[in-house]
Amino acid sequence: MPGHGCQGRAGCRSGGRDAGAGPGARGSFPGRSGPGAPGPPGQSPCAMSGAPGGRRPTFPGLPGERVLEEAAGARQRCGNGGGSIPGTLLCTDRRLAFLPGQALGSRGLLHSQDEVALPCIHKLVAASSFSKPKVLTAASTLKFIPEELAVFCRDFRLLRFYFPENGLAPQAFRVANAIAQAREAAAWLGDAAEGHDGWASPGETTPEEDEDEDEEEGSSTVLLFESLRDWEKELQRLGAAGWRVSAVNERFDMAPSLPQYLWVPSGLLDHDLKRTFAHFQERRVPRLCWRHPGGGDLLRAASFHPASEPGSEDVRCLEALLLGDRGPCVLADTAELPTLADIQLAHLRLRALCLPGAVAEEKWLSALEGTRWLDHVRSCLRKAVEVASLLAGKRCSVVLQEPSDRDLNCLLASLVQLLGDPHARSLPGFQSLVQREWVAAGHPFPRRLGLLCRDSPREEAPVFLLFLDCTWQLLWQFPADFGFTEAFLLALHDSSFSPYFSTFRFSCQRQRGQRSSTPRLPSQTYRPMGGWQDPGGHRGGPHPCTFPPVWAWGRRYTRQQREQFRNPAGPPGPAESLTPGTPADPCPRGGARLVLTLAKGSLCPHALPWWSRPPPRPPVRVSPPPDSQGTQGGLLGTRQPPPGLLLPCTAGPCVRLWHRCYLRGLPQEQRGRLAPSLAGLAEELQLLQDRLRAWNLRRPH
Amino acid sequence: EPQFKNKIVGENDITLQCVDQIYGVYDEKKKLLTGQLRKYPEKLIIYCKDLRVFNFCLRYTKEEEVKRIVSGIVHHSQTPKLLKRLFLFSYASAAPNNTDGRNQTVMFETLEDWRDELERTKGNVKYKAVTTNEGYRVSEKLPLYFVVPICISEESILKYEGRGIPIWCWSCHNGAALLKMSAFPKEQDDSTSQMQKAFLDGISKTISKPPYELLKMDDLSSSLPSLQDIQTAYTRFKQLFLIDNSTDFWATDVKWFSLLESTNWLEIIRRVLKKAIEVAECLEIQHTNVLLIEESATDLCCVISSLVQVMMDSYSRTKSGFQSLIQKEWVIGGHGFLDRCNHLHKSEKEEAPVFLLLLNCVWQLVQQYPPAFEFTETYLTVLSDSLYVPIFSTFFFNSQHQRDTNKSGESLKTQSGPFRFLTVWDWSVQFDPKALAFLNNPLYAEKPKPERSQRKTARFKHQRQLSLPLTPAKPSTKRGFFREETDHLIKNILGKRIGKFINSSDEPHNSLREFYDSWHSKPVDYHGLLLPRIDGPEIKVWAQRYLRWIPEAQLHGGGTIATAAKILDLMEEVQSLQVKMDEEHSQAVSGDVHSVPMLRNSARLSSLFPFALLQRQSVKPALPTSTWKDLEDEDDLVKRDDEFVDLSGDML
Repeated sequence: MPGHGCQGRAGCRSGGRDAGAGPGARGSFPGRSGPGAPGPPGQSPCAMSGAPGGRRPTFPGLPGERVLEEAAGARQRCGNGGGSIPGTLLCTDRRLAFLPGQALGSRGLLHSQDEVALPCIHKLVAASSFSKPKVLTAASTLKFIPEELAVFCRDFRLLRFYFPENGLAPQAFRVANAIAQAREAAAWLGDAAEGHDGWASPGETTPEEDEDEDEEEGSSTVLLFESLRDWEKELQRLGAAGWRVSAVNERFDMAPSLPQYLWVPSGLLDHDLKRTFAHFQERRVPRLCWRHPGGGDLLRAASFHPASEPGSEDVRCLEALLLGDRGPCVLADTAELPTLADIQLAHLRLRALCLPGAVAEEKWLSALEGTRWLDHVRSCLRKAVEVASLLAGKRCSVVLQEPSDRDLNCLLASLVQLLGDPHARSLPGFQSLVQREWVAAGHPFPRRLGLLCRDSPREEAPVFLLFLDCTWQLLWQFPADFGFTEAFLLALHDSSFSPYFSTFRFSCQRQRGQRSSTPRLPSQTYRPMGGWQDPGGHRGGPHPCTFPPVWAWGRRYTRQQREQFRNPAGPPGPAESLTPGTPADPCPRGGARLVLTLAKGSLCPHALPWWSRPPPRPPVRVSPPPDSQGTQGGLLGTRQPPPGLLLPCTAGPCVRLWHRCYLRGLPQEQRGRLAPSLAGLAEELQLLQDRLRAWNLRRPH
Repeated sequence: EPQFKNKIVGENDITLQCVDQIYGVYDEKKKLLTGQLRKYPEKLIIYCKDLRVFNFCLRYTKEEEVKRIVSGIVHHSQTPKLLKRLFLFSYASAAPNNTDGRNQTVMFETLEDWRDELERTKGNVKYKAVTTNEGYRVSEKLPLYFVVPICISEESILKYEGRGIPIWCWSCHNGAALLKMSAFPKEQDDSTSQMQKAFLDGISKTISKPPYELLKMDDLSSSLPSLQDIQTAYTRFKQLFLIDNSTDFWATDVKWFSLLESTNWLEIIRRVLKKAIEVAECLEIQHTNVLLIEESATDLCCVISSLVQVMMDSYSRTKSGFQSLIQKEWVIGGHGFLDRCNHLHKSEKEEAPVFLLLLNCVWQLVQQYPPAFEFTETYLTVLSDSLYVPIFSTFFFNSQHQRDTNKSGESLKTQSGPFRFLTVWDWSVQFDPKALAFLNNPLYAEKPKPERSQRKTARFKHQRQLSLPLTPAKPSTKRGFFREETDHLIKNILGKRIGKFINSSDEPHNSLREFYDSWHSKPVDYHGLLLPRIDGPEIKVWAQRYLRWIPEAQLHGGGTIATAAKILDLMEEVQSLQVKMDEEHSQAVSGDVHSVPMLRNSARLSSLFPFALLQRQSVKPALPTSTWKDLEDEDDLVKRDDEFVDLSGDML
């Protein structure tokens, strides 16, 4: 970033708070706006506490963001070698940010290394040579002048700042306290809270022109699944004949945590569908997630309600929903997957392991094994492979069944689709997938990511981050099959702790709707990626949230950075949706009564809870699948897997640590390293072009 | 038709030197076969040094044939052998060749080669190539020609058969040189050792004073693992990959990382890399000469000096440069390939995978900085395989002397003249041009060939970057602040303590750490100094070499080859553009624009490509077959047991 960030070294001692920015000064956040890139939209420099003359780089805050405290002349440590960068440490009501006083050649891939959103701070520690290090909270008062501040982040970063002893003490003291206080104030109050002043929606002040060219890239292709149209469009893409969109939950009265629209068998009337809700936990009934073009259906549901005793009419509806006429039904539960507690524990261990110097080099591998994080990644992948190969190999339906249907089902359902559906591996496709299987499906993000006030630590479990890791494994194993890159996954990983987006702030669609503070006409709503905006689409439903979804990447990342999200070595052209396969043979009547469970890689007959007798033997054979592959031994035979289906390897040597994500806390990993393939390719192309040009010049002589 | 085929060694061929261990299976029990056999097995399992595993079922073979074949295999591959019985000699006499396939590789067999090397590295001011060893007067272990400091006299070289003499390896751009020396063996006699000591002191005095830089000596036998340790670690390590059935594989899979760690192989790689970084730091930053000392100066000395050159000299990262380096330090330098690979089965004690250790270390660099190397990991893999192909002389002698004396073929056919051995560097012997394309890195950031002045400025810039962003380190007194805190945090998180927060700046090698950190905080210059990352998570398993025959670890349509295929497509496109331009701009179109069309339009390749293509392909069944049978044929659905059918078991 030559020429940036140098209009004022942060060295002014007396400056401190007074060093503000002239109005209208454009942001020069390193890494944020590269040369020639349009500045981040909608980020008029925030009002500093009245200040003449820009003595330091402008801090481009979000609208309404207030700078609470700042310390000029702080230094950020980088590397073990003792190097450090001078700059200004800022605390706003949203984040902690560091503005380097001088531009550096090589910064990270994403700008995020210079700032931490307040909810992302896991622990704040102050230290001085005269006193023991102290963990700062809002309640505890700092009794000494800190010489050094260490910020342990949830996203695996460890930022260390120190204040050279040059009379800056009061500032250091003030900024440390301010961060501690602000962090507390910024905690998301969660379900119980009604108004959050600290979280004033930026929507009010966001002008419409935000939707400028930054959102150009296929904004309409990301489906948010907030409108009927999105559900219908996607169902059409899947070519799922025999399924329809039901609006039975439009008012969230059938199942509060489910989305408004559900994909259910077209043969089942809403009237009949309503009978089924009571028999599932949290009233989360089975519904379609995805259909393999060969005819395999993927459904997800909560487990059967233990107390339910369906009457005969209910049984008819339940079986129509679960079994339909769709061939054998395989129930896949989550017994072999890690529990939420396992995931949380493994993640904490991983975080501890990734701190600098946590373990001796020669013990690294066994320590890594000891976290069990990779084991969990492997078991999720293995299960997804099993389900995906079932769907690809046979015409059957697989019902993912998790007690709550809100955690591992999200993970499995999305993983299976990543394996089986090339569309899900494109960038818009992946965003739609997350939107449907996580956001709309009601994954309780705030609780699981630990963004809530400290009231419920028990419910923290980074299931979504586990999913991102699984996705990264796929990306790493099949680099040519994805339209997005590691950089994109990293951005998504980091954004999950960021308070600026609606995506990760709510537990379900209903809550999302309720939280929009003031009802306004849909046409006035900020919906950068929502695409279709037909008031009729909402049919009186709740208004969508006014925070932008995380997919509005243009707000945080420059064009160059967003270009890194796309995989140049990915599949050619926009990923085509699967061509709807030949419609599978209609199943003979009665064959549908076969119910199996998938456990430990094998299928066993299983009785539905309301069946009194052992599973009835199906009177008619299930017809063989359209392709004869399944008969050749094994699920897929000894052949290559069918095109479009990814079968990741889950063996030890093939599952790796996501270095670029987890090892960011290690000093030597902090500096920018791109994916070798990506950087290499880009560089090579450049080189080739140069060479071509040089050659072209040389040639005529 | 396989796209990547070795012309010499077919997919089911095992050269005798490639056989590692042979097991017989008797009543389901595996037994190692060596020497005389009393009973003949029903199944033969052959583990190869290139990590292939072959299972042969002999149950349906006639008994006398079993006897003959098994004892034949065991005899020829496992029992001691005369050098002259190596296939190398039969091949050289039967298939005389006239190709000069050294591919610009400098062989270092002539005085000129050494002089050119001195000139290239600008070491010729202070070092000279000597002819003292002509006729092997000095020592049979030393090469015919070598380079020593100018001030070293001929007598002193002759005095102890070249022991105690610093031998030049390479000169750094700033004039500092890397030297090696074979130490004196431990001497019982006091007076002899006194004399030797005095001799050494005299030598070190003469080469420590100007114009020579300060001298730093490093006794590798004490600062690096012993050859025995290396051999033990590698034996354990390779066992992880010699999988003869799927069950074994999955059984070890659960504990993969701890098993890997317990072999200590990766740790040895790390220590070797670390040592090379240390040496590089002395040369680059401290401007001192480094003298590597080892008993014979032909094992770990070769590893370290080669690694240092790969890291510091971008010429060594080209294919011909790397090959010249192997010639200089290993083949001519006198590494005992014959003994270390135990090609003749003379003595197990001498066996140690020293050269493989180097290739493993270089691989770490290749995978960390792919654009810096002209060759690919596939190149390194086939190079490692070539260790066991007995038609090349390169890896089948202990020294230049041994090679020269056996070259003449004095006893046998004198009329045919001396043997004309093949060199392994003639890759066209083993591979078709199509396959050769896989050895070249399409993404190699080739060094632009600028005038000297430009190069200077580039270097200057580089150094400027080195000093700019990082302000000098503060004294480390306060660096330890967070020790307790991190412990506390870990305790809080886990309820127990995983490890200590060791702030590495407290370590004694402070300048080394600083060198390492400051280098890594800069953008990488692919033509300059290259330092490997050696932190715990960074040392990896050379997956291509070690996992290539394991179908359980394969990815259909995945792995690095997936990207490589795309890149090759792109390259092809660019090349066709070049051809077009060529046609426009010039009259003579040389049709030799080597295009790499092989991957184009090809189906999704397996990650084991280019190796496993030759092998069976199987998809690990995610679910047992029987279940599907059930679905199709549900006669007694309820009664049927769950049986697992292991499809990948039937391998051959």
